[in-house]
Amino acid sequence: MVGHRLEMKIRNVRIFAIPAAILVFVTAVFPLIVLATSVIDRADIFSIWTKSPVQRALVFSLWQALLSTAFTIFLGVIATWYLSRYQFFGRRTFIALVTVPFVLPTVAVGAAFIAVLPKALHHSTLAIVLAHIFFNISIVVRTVGPRWNSIDDQLIDSARTLGASPLQTWRHVIMPLGKNAVFSATALTFFMSFTSYGIITILGGPGLATLDIEIYRRAVQLGDLSGATVLAIAQMLLIAIAFLLWSRSRSTELIAFRVQAVSHRRLSLAPKCFFLALAAFFTVPLLALVAASMRTSHSWSLSGWKVFLGIQNQRGIDFNMWQAIQTSGKYALIASCIALPTGIAAAYALSNRRSSQSRLSALVILPLAISPVVIGLAILITYDFQPFDFRSSWLLIPVVHAAIALPFVMRSALPVVDGIPNDLRSAASTLGAGPWRRLFTVELPLLKPAISTGLAFSMAMSLGEFGATSFLTRRESRTIPIIIAGLFGKAGEIPRTTGMVASLVLIVLTAMIVVTIDRKSHI
Amino acid sequence: MSLIIDNVSFSYGDRPILSGLSLEVPTGTTTAVVAPSGSGKSTLLRIIAGLITPSTGSIILDGKNLSLVPTHLRSIGMVFQDNQLFPHLNVYDNVMFGLRMARTEKTIAANRCRDLLDLVGLSQAAKQSVATLSGGESKRVALARALAPSPRLLLLDEPLTGLDSELHDRLAHDLQRILHATSTTALLVTHSLPEAEIISDSLRRLPTAVDSV
Repeated sequence: MVGHRLEMKIRNVRIFAIPAAILVFVTAVFPLIVLATSVIDRADIFSIWTKSPVQRALVFSLWQALLSTAFTIFLGVIATWYLSRYQFFGRRTFIALVTVPFVLPTVAVGAAFIAVLPKALHHSTLAIVLAHIFFNISIVVRTVGPRWNSIDDQLIDSARTLGASPLQTWRHVIMPLGKNAVFSATALTFFMSFTSYGIITILGGPGLATLDIEIYRRAVQLGDLSGATVLAIAQMLLIAIAFLLWSRSRSTELIAFRVQAVSHRRLSLAPKCFFLALAAFFTVPLLALVAASMRTSHSWSLSGWKVFLGIQNQRGIDFNMWQAIQTSGKYALIASCIALPTGIAAAYALSNRRSSQSRLSALVILPLAISPVVIGLAILITYDFQPFDFRSSWLLIPVVHAAIALPFVMRSALPVVDGIPNDLRSAASTLGAGPWRRLFTVELPLLKPAISTGLAFSMAMSLGEFGATSFLTRRESRTIPIIIAGLFGKAGEIPRTTGMVASLVLIVLTAMIVVTIDRKSHI
Repeated sequence: MSLIIDNVSFSYGDRPILSGLSLEVPTGTTTAVVAPSGSGKSTLLRIIAGLITPSTGSIILDGKNLSLVPTHLRSIGMVFQDNQLFPHLNVYDNVMFGLRMARTEKTIAANRCRDLLDLVGLSQAAKQSVATLSGGESKRVALARALAPSPRLLLLDEPLTGLDSELHDRLAHDLQRILHATSTTALLVTHSLPEAEIISDSLRRLPTAVDSV
């Protein structure tokens, strides 16, 4: 009898994944099926690859992604080691400084690098790689940090008493113990750099287009939907490989690590210098953005702010800032309201996963494996015809944002849900708490870190989302990132400066949300 | 030739842990230091191994002052209280670890490793993951691993805590036998007098700063 009831419970838990599955089906699976079956002209499957812009885009995507990944992992691994094992002044601030960029809006960060780099480097591979490092170091810190953080100091001591030099200890103990996590971080960083779109929109240029940019160009500017679709599907397959490697490891939970487990070793001079340089790398672009928002090429000027606030008119610039902030805010709220309960429910369905659940897990994480640009394209095509003519519905964009945030919400909730011991629920029951009271007195309070991290993640991702939105946006309801990209696409000083202002506002807004909501659970 | 601990003091912040401790361990013998928990026994071993630096005093091994010698060059093995086996390596590779670090020739290392696993009675478990070992087996692996690179001195930090009484007594005798068989110079710290009596050749109570408070 007891066994039977337990079995029922286990089966019931899987039901919690249904909302997530529906969301993913509607925003990714179904549109991708439609995309793959409806618009491809067979001749394109092979001929598209002979076109030189496509070849260039493919080579550049790979090349810049490899370069970005190599540097990110190298710097990230060093930073993670010291952050996870040493106690030093400013460590908490530094963790925040390194981990926040991941959720910052891509186009705005692109703008910050325009602001900091000399003009000759504005549209260069170096600028792109630097921006990717800025973004993705946080992936390394978040995935490898918890692993290294949990290594007992005495394990390292025992290696030393067995005659291992510091270098040998690294090679034979520390690296093998962090291997899976480093591997995951590498795959995810590669994926993020390969499908980079917002950054490249701002920092790319002739000869510096990635596959995503080429997909957008074909679909929107050339009207070659068939060619764009072939590229989109090929890109998906390529990413699926990196993604599979990533999702195989469980150390991919995107959580920050504990502070208290850190030993009291002090930093020596070399790592101190490293951290100073890294701190500069993370702050100087943002400071340059502040300065650039108040400058035209020759002098200090508040024109950008005036145009942004609608006080000064500028020919060719026609947006209402308040409306854009409202639109972005509204989308972020709705996306969170969808992603948060859906993601946490899915985490319940997947906690302590068994074999059948890993398939479920793959489905829920699917949006992560597809570049937002491809999702945007697929949705644009799918929901433009009867009977699914949702293209004009304003709800479409926040729903897509929710789907994109879903894997992150779920992944960050999973360790929290896993960490709630079953006995605790049983204890509450034996003390007379019914299911609802258990939910409000035990479950929800313990879920608090998952809720705040998930909320911060989904709001930030929606605020900064650019890839899918760029396909789905409508003139009257543009989000801030769309307006930023538009401003940087225009010639002239004033649009550029206004773009800097908008980027600064968006970064400050996002950082404030992440830091306020997520402060307690993060550091 | 022997280990000489000369006037060693150590404190955590304002709290004195060891003050002016001197002790000698003759070559080829096992000396036990018996003291209650929290009296700085582990600290003493960590100082000898070079994992922490004493505020005063020096450690002299075979006539050489070790003050400036880093841990990995001291040739001092240590068995930690909770074993600290490498979770990513199997039993055999754990025992091999020190030999690999010393770049010992492969066949010699393999033979040494096999001999030690025989000595601690775990030849059958060589390919096993360390996660599958019982408490007593983990202890034996930790001991074999520490002995493998033939350290000039072996430090044993409460090596038999956490074992049930029958296993405890058996391992204590085994340990005494193994240390003798390998003529290892060893320093044992424990809170248990009977344990110290079984394993060691000579006994010493630790006169600590904490004791005197």
